Amino acid sequence: MQQEASVRNSAAGGATAQFRQGSAIRQLWETNLEVFQRDKMALFGLFVFAIFAIVAIFAPLIAPNDPLTPLKNNDGDWIKDALPYWLAEPGEDEAEGYSNTFLLGTTNIGRDIYSQLIHGSRSALLVGFSAAAAVAVIGTVVGLLAGYYGGWVDAILMRAADVAFGVPFIPFIIVISAFMDPSIWNVVVAMAVLLWRDTGRVIRSQVLVIKEQAFVSAARVSGASDLRIIFVYIAPSILPLSFLYGSFAIAWAILTEASVSFLGFSDPETISWGFMLQDAFNSLALSREAFYWIVPPGLCIMLTVMAGFFIGRGYEEVLFPRLRRM
Amino acid sequence: MTILSIRDLKVEYATQDGAVEAVDGVSLDVAEGQHLGLIGESGCGKTTLLKAIVQVLPRNGRVTGGKIMFKGMDLMQLPAAEMRQLRWREIATIPQASMDSLNPVQRVGGQLIKLLRVRGGYDKRAARRRAVDLFDMVGLDTERLMHYPHEFSGGMKQRAVIAMALALEPSLLIADEPVTALDVIVQHQILEVLRELEQELNLTVMLITHDISVVAQVCDSVAVMYAGRIVEQAAAEPFFASPAHPYSLGLQQAFPNLARPRDVLVSIEGYPPDLREPPAGCRFAERCPFVQEACKEHDPRLEIVGDNRLAACLRSNEMDALRARAEDPTLWQHVEVAQLVGQPRPDFTDDGRGEPTARPSDVSHLAMAGQSPADPHKSETTPADGVDAPPLLEMRDVSKRFKIGGGLAGLLRGDKEQTVYAVNNISFTLRRGESLGLAGESGCGKSTTGKLLVKLLDASDGEITFAGADLSSVDDKDLLAFRSRVQLMFQNPFEALNPRFTLYRSLTEPLIIHGWKDENERTRRVVETLDRVNLRPAEVFLDKYPHQLSGGQLQRVVLARALVLHPDFLVADEPVSMLDVSVRAGILNTTRRLARELGLATVYISHDLSLLQYTCDRIAIMYLGEIVEIGPSNEVINNPQHPYTQALIAAVPVPDPTVENPPLRIREGVPRPTEQFIGCPFAQRCPEVMEACLSVRPPVIADERAHQAQCHLYGEHRDSPKLERDAAAPR
Amino acid sequence: MNRGVAYYILGRFLQSVMVLWIIVTLLFLLFRLAPSNPLASYIDTTFTKQQEAALLARFGLDKPLGEQYIIYLVNLLKLDLGDTFSYSGKTVLDILGADLPNTIYLTLTSLLLAYAVGVLGGVVMAALRGSWIERVGTTFTLMTRAAPQFWVGMLLLTFFAFQWKLLPSSGIGPPMVRYRWETEWDKLMSPVFWRHMILPTFTLALYLHGLPLLLMRSNMLEVLDQDYVTMSRLAGYSEWRVMIQTAARNAMLPVLTALTLGIGYSIGGNVVIEHVFSWPGLGRTLVRAVQQADYPLAQGAFFLIALIIVFMNFIADILYSLLDPRVGASAQAQVS
Repeated sequence: MQQEASVRNSAAGGATAQFRQGSAIRQLWETNLEVFQRDKMALFGLFVFAIFAIVAIFAPLIAPNDPLTPLKNNDGDWIKDALPYWLAEPGEDEAEGYSNTFLLGTTNIGRDIYSQLIHGSRSALLVGFSAAAAVAVIGTVVGLLAGYYGGWVDAILMRAADVAFGVPFIPFIIVISAFMDPSIWNVVVAMAVLLWRDTGRVIRSQVLVIKEQAFVSAARVSGASDLRIIFVYIAPSILPLSFLYGSFAIAWAILTEASVSFLGFSDPETISWGFMLQDAFNSLALSREAFYWIVPPGLCIMLTVMAGFFIGRGYEEVLFPRLRRM
Repeated sequence: MTILSIRDLKVEYATQDGAVEAVDGVSLDVAEGQHLGLIGESGCGKTTLLKAIVQVLPRNGRVTGGKIMFKGMDLMQLPAAEMRQLRWREIATIPQASMDSLNPVQRVGGQLIKLLRVRGGYDKRAARRRAVDLFDMVGLDTERLMHYPHEFSGGMKQRAVIAMALALEPSLLIADEPVTALDVIVQHQILEVLRELEQELNLTVMLITHDISVVAQVCDSVAVMYAGRIVEQAAAEPFFASPAHPYSLGLQQAFPNLARPRDVLVSIEGYPPDLREPPAGCRFAERCPFVQEACKEHDPRLEIVGDNRLAACLRSNEMDALRARAEDPTLWQHVEVAQLVGQPRPDFTDDGRGEPTARPSDVSHLAMAGQSPADPHKSETTPADGVDAPPLLEMRDVSKRFKIGGGLAGLLRGDKEQTVYAVNNISFTLRRGESLGLAGESGCGKSTTGKLLVKLLDASDGEITFAGADLSSVDDKDLLAFRSRVQLMFQNPFEALNPRFTLYRSLTEPLIIHGWKDENERTRRVVETLDRVNLRPAEVFLDKYPHQLSGGQLQRVVLARALVLHPDFLVADEPVSMLDVSVRAGILNTTRRLARELGLATVYISHDLSLLQYTCDRIAIMYLGEIVEIGPSNEVINNPQHPYTQALIAAVPVPDPTVENPPLRIREGVPRPTEQFIGCPFAQRCPEVMEACLSVRPPVIADERAHQAQCHLYGEHRDSPKLERDAAAPR
Repeated sequence: MNRGVAYYILGRFLQSVMVLWIIVTLLFLLFRLAPSNPLASYIDTTFTKQQEAALLARFGLDKPLGEQYIIYLVNLLKLDLGDTFSYSGKTVLDILGADLPNTIYLTLTSLLLAYAVGVLGGVVMAALRGSWIERVGTTFTLMTRAAPQFWVGMLLLTFFAFQWKLLPSSGIGPPMVRYRWETEWDKLMSPVFWRHMILPTFTLALYLHGLPLLLMRSNMLEVLDQDYVTMSRLAGYSEWRVMIQTAARNAMLPVLTALTLGIGYSIGGNVVIEHVFSWPGLGRTLVRAVQQADYPLAQGAFFLIALIIVFMNFIADILYSLLDPRVGASAQAQVS
C-alpha cells in the first residue's frame, strides 16, 4: 500500500494536490457515508424519508381524489363514512348510488381518507425538514459563537438558552397560534425560536473541547484568523453533531406538528396527519371503531418519526462509539 | 518459594482486522518476596499479561494457551467465583490510570471501609480503625478519609489506591505504571512509599512500567517484554550493568541518566512488528543493529545465558562483544547521531566566544526580516549569531495573571473573584541558535511562559521583545510576520494535528495562511520539510491521516509543521513525554540537529530534567511562576544552588540500581498561585527556610558563568535564624 | 453542605428568578402587542363606546403600556392573575387552582411508573448489550417515543373504553351532573378517580419511559467503561455489586436530573393527553382558553406552567450538585 501511495504521488504537484485540498469536505462526506454504511437502521430511515418524499412530491398524481372536497353520490349527497372497499358489504355502494373504490373509506363529510393520507405527507415533510434545518442552523451558529468567543457573547447566548429552556414548548405554540393565522409555519417558527437550545448547548460544549485541542492552537500559532479557525478547523468537526440534532429535530417537528393539528390549531385548508386524527376524534370515529381512519395516519407519523430517530442514532453511534451495540 | 508461575501463556485479541497475539508464549516465575519489574514499550503486551493473570481481559480478549499457577492453584481452571475471592485478598492490582480508579461520588474513606467490610469481613468499627491505619501507612492525613476523590491531588489519589490495594494484606501486588503521569517529586515519594511497604510487609511485587529508572529504584529483578514475548530476565544489578539482549542494550542507551549523562542518546529506530502477522524469526530483528540472516528465520527461545539470567537472542554467546559495540551511538541511529557526536556545544553563557558564526544582522524589525509573505524563498538560515548580536528574544519582568470567577456571571453564581499569578516577573534572553529549558513541577507556570513566548497569551506586565520589536504593540501585519517566525511544538502528537486533515493539508495550512499562492511551491516545501525530519520518502506520508501514523512519526510531522515556514524560534512543550522511550531520543536528536542547521533558537518545556540536560544549553527552574534558578545546563544540574532545584534533582530516579537517590527533603504539593508572596515563594516547602524568607524578597545571586539563583542562602540574610521545617506552611 | 454548594444554589436561584422575569416580560409583550385586540372577540358591534371603554378599563387595558407592565408584575407577585373572560365571576386562580392538582396527579403517577420501568429496563438493556432482546427492546421503546401520544391514547380508548368497555373514556369521574368530591383527599381516596386515571396514566407512561430507558442504557455503557468500575472488578466485588452498586448508582445521577426536569416539562406537555382524555387539567384549560380567546386565563395558565418548569429546572440543578460532589466544587473553583 505504501508503494502504491508513493507511485501515485511521485508526480507530486498540482494534480493530486487539488484532491487533497477538499479533504475537509470529503471527510464530512465520508462521515455521512459511514453513518449509513455502518448502521442499517439509519439507512432504513433514509429510505423511509425517500419514499415519503416521492409521495409528497407527486401527491396530486398519486391521490385518486381531492383530499378536501367531499365526494358525492349520484344523488348529490355526501358519501359519508363509507367503509374501505375491502371491508364494505358488496353491493352496498351501488345501492347508495356510488362505486366504492376507496382504499381507506371516507370521512363523516365524505372526504377520501386515502387521498388525505397521501397529501398529509406534504405538511409532515415540509414542517419536519424546515424546522429541523432552522433548529440545526441556529443551534450550530449559537453554539459556535458562544463556545469560540466565550465571555459576553457566551453569557448572553447561554442566558437566552436558559430562557428558552424555561418556556413550555407546546403551550408556547398554542399561544402563538392564537395570535397568528393558522398555518403549518407556526410550528416551524416556534421550533426555531425555542428548540435551538439543546443543539446550541451541546455544540457549545463540543466547541469548548475542540478549541482547547492542540491542533487549534497550532493553527493560531501559524497565524490563522478567528474566522479561519472557526470555519476550517472547528466547524467541520461540529457538523456531524449538527446533523445528529437535525435528524432528531425532524422527528420532533413531525410529532409536534401532528399534536398541534390534533389540538385544532392548524390551518383547516391544509391536510396533515394530525388534522386527520383530529377530524376522526371529533367525529367520534373511536366509538365506531373506525380503525381504517385512525390507524393509517398514526402509522405514517410513527414511521417518519422513527426514520428521524434511526438516522440520529446512526450519527450517535459514529460520533460516540462507546454507545455502539457491540 | 515461587508464588506465581506463568507457563507459555498466550492471549489473543479479536479485532476487525484479525486476531492479535498480544501475549505470545510468556513464561515467568515470581518468587515470594521478589520485586519484579516488567519493562516494555506500549503495545508490548505487559498490561494484557496483567489482565490475563487476574482474568479481567476485555470482551474481545481470551487466553488461548498456557497456564497460570498461583500458590499451587491453576487460575485458568478456577471457577469465576473463587477467582473473584482471590482478587485483592491474594492478588491485589493497582490498575493503570489509577487516578480515575476511585468512585467520584463516594468519599475515599467510605470506599476503603466498604472494601474492608464487603471483601475483608471486617465489622464497622474494625474497618474504620483499619482504614485509619492504612491512611497512616501510605502517608495520607487521616482527616482526608471523609474527602471526595476530586479533593485529592494526583499523588494523594495514588496513595489512596495503594492503601486500598494493601487493605486485605495480599500476598502479591501487581502495580501497572504506578507513577506515570505524576510529577517527579510526587513520583519519588510514591516510590518511597512502595519501597518502604515492600520491606515492612514483605510484599511480593510485580511492577509494570515503561520506565527503567523506576525499576532500578524499587525492583530487585527485571523482565523485559517485547512484542508479546519476554526477551530478557535477570536480577536487577547485572541487568543494568550488562544487559544481555540487544533491545535492553538499546533501552539503556536511550535513557537519559542525570548521574552519568551521555553525549548522545539513541533511539531504537523502526517500530515493533505487527502482531497480526508476527515475523517468523526474531521479533526484534527488524530494529536490531546486530541482525544476521539467521535472526530472520529462527525464532530465538528464552534460554539461560548466565547466572540466573535468561535471554532470547541467537547471538547470546557473543553478547560481550556486542555490548562493546553498542556503546557506539552511531550504530543505532546513523543519520542524526553522526552529526551530533563530537560536536562541541556552543557556549552562550558569558562573553566567551562559542562557535557562533555571524549572520547578517537582519533583526532590526519584524517586517523587515527578509521574509515578506509574498517571498516564499526565504534565505536559508545559518547557525547561531555571535554574542555581539542583540538577543533574538528578551523577556523583561514579564508577568501573567488570570482572573477567575469574576464578572456578572460569577457574581450571579456567587463566585469570589480570584487572581491566579501564573507567571511573575520573569526575565531572560535567548540568542539565535541557543536552547533554553524550562523545568518545574506542574503548576509552576512553565507552559504559560511558553504560550506567552508564542503570543498565544499576552503578558499582563512586562515586555517581551522578539527581534527588537515589542510583542505587545505589533499590528496585524507584523503579527502575521511574527507568526511565520515563531512556532510551537505540542506535547500530545495525537491531538496536535487536525484528525480530519491529511498530513499534506496540515503542513500546507501555514503556507496558505502566509500567502504562498503557488501549489507546486507549497508541495515542494512540504516534501522538503518532511524529508528534513526524517520522514522518508516524504511522498508516502502526504495522503495519510494522523490516525494512520505512530506517535513517534506523528511527533515528527508536528515538528515538520513547526518548521515548514522556516521559523527562527521554536517552543517545544513537553515534546516527547507522550512517546515511548525507544523513540524519544530520535525526536530530540532530530530537533537538535535541525536547530543547529537552521540556526533556530529553542525553548524546551519539560518536567524531565535529564531530558533538558541532554538538549539544552541553559536551564531555568521555575516555581510558582518565578524563575528561581537559571544557568548553563551542566552547572544547574551538577551544582544546583536553590533548595528547590536540589530537591528536583534529588527526585529524578536514576536508571542504575547501584545509585541510591539522596533523600528528598521537601514534600509534594505545589500550592495554588492565588497570592503574591512578600518573601520567597518556596518558603512554605523549603527545608532550609529562614526568618528572612518569609518577609524579604530573596536576592538574585549570580556567578561569573551567568548561573543565577534567587535565594537568601547566598545573600545578605544568609545568617537569618533558621525556622523549623514546615513552620512556614499554612496550618 | 459546604459553602461552595450553598453559593452555587444561591446563584442558581437568582438565575432562575431572572429567567422567569424575562419569560414573564415576553409573555406580557406577546399578549399586549399582538396584532388583534385581546378583547376583540368580546366586543361586538352592538357595544357602545362607553361599554367598550368600561370593558377596557376593567381589564386595565386603557392605561399606557409601561403602567400596564408594572401593574402586571405587581399582580403576578401577589399571585393575582386577574379575572377570566369566559367563566363569569371566577378568577383565573380559581380555575387554575382546581386544574393543577389533576395535572400533578396524572404527571407524577406516570413519571414514577415510567422512570421505574425505564431505569430497570436501561440497566437490563446495558447488561444485554448486543443481544436480540436488547435490539427488540430498544426498537419497541423507540416506537413508543415515535408514536404520537394522542394516537396511542385514541387506540387505547377505542379498545378499552369503546370496544371492551372496561374503562371510562373521559374525565376524572362519571359524567353525572354536579358530581364533585368535597376535598382533594376524597378524590384521591376514590376508586372511581383512579379508574379514570388508568388509561391516561398508562398512555403517558408508555411515552415517558423511553427517555429514562435510553438514557440509563447509554449512561451504563459509559460508566461501565470507567476506570473505577474496572477497579471494583479488580477488587473482587461480585458482578452484581459492580453493576448495581457502582455502575448503576453513578449512571442514575443524570436520570434523576432528567426526572426532575421531566416533572416540569410533562406538566407543560400534557396538553395533548389531557385533551384526548378530557382530563380537567392545566393543559386542557390552556387549549380551551386559547380557543375561546380568554386571554387572562391563557396567560395565567402559561405563566403557571412556565413557573413550574423554571422551578423544576432549578431543583434539577440543585439536586445534581447535591448528588454529585464534583459539581458544586467545580462551580466554585475553575482553576486546574
